[in-house]
Amino acid sequence: MALEIKILKSVGAQSGGAVTVKLIGSLDTATAPDLERQLVPILAGPVKDMVFDLAELKFISSAGLRVFSNARKQLRTRSGQASFIHMQPQIQEVFEIMKSLPGVTVFKSIAELDSYLAARQQSHENPRAI
Amino acid sequence: MNLELRATPGEVMRAVDALWEFGHQRGLSESDLFGLCLALEECGSNIVNHAFDRDPRQSFKVLFEYAGNSFVIQLRDRGPAFDPTTAPERKPAATDDDDPPGRWGIQLVRRHVDEMRYTREGEENVLRLTKRLGTKSGGKQSHS
Repeated sequence: MALEIKILKSVGAQSGGAVTVKLIGSLDTATAPDLERQLVPILAGPVKDMVFDLAELKFISSAGLRVFSNARKQLRTRSGQASFIHMQPQIQEVFEIMKSLPGVTVFKSIAELDSYLAARQQSHENPRAI
Repeated sequence: MNLELRATPGEVMRAVDALWEFGHQRGLSESDLFGLCLALEECGSNIVNHAFDRDPRQSFKVLFEYAGNSFVIQLRDRGPAFDPTTAPERKPAATDDDDPPGRWGIQLVRRHVDEMRYTREGEENVLRLTKRLGTKSGGKQSHS
């Protein structure tokens, strides 16, 4: 099974907003290096929040978790965050291993994620607001 | 079913694809199959990356056995002796941001199969993963 990667930049991404990465298929030992390569230029920019949409991710192994973990670490150096939405139950089970790490947040819906990101954006713009 | 695979990530996934098909044909549940495929991916990747350093001239063997209420995956390789059943548990790293993401693979295998059995037969590592079908896994390990 292959991996399709769709990268969607939201408004404000150029100035440090959120980038959504939609993954379709299998994130495994053969496909994880592709994702890693595609994240390099994004993480080299000012992005603070990265959202991985896993609605159509069918399979993940530790090779995929390592890519997420590395992205999380890089984002945290700039007070950023890696977030995950629409996780299928089997993916969620694999994810339990890294879910408790700092800088990782799992959301069930876009609405939940949006309100979280809006609050974060507000705190970036006005650090005294919260 | 027997497969002989070259030591590359693509070949590991060829085995995983074959397992999906083999399991679907025999009516295994998605949940059981997912766990088996994950265990195969992790153990196969370990052989490819650590025993053979992704050298495509090297090869290893995979065998699937379906016995109705259980499923066995056997991996055979001629790499250096390595017993994954003795690998230490990864300690929780909830508050340590610098903790490297190592040993996740073996932890995932342990969660998704009921038994891991390792033997060294002559020059071969033989790893046998058994999953009881239709039950929640997370099982015992042994070596000899």
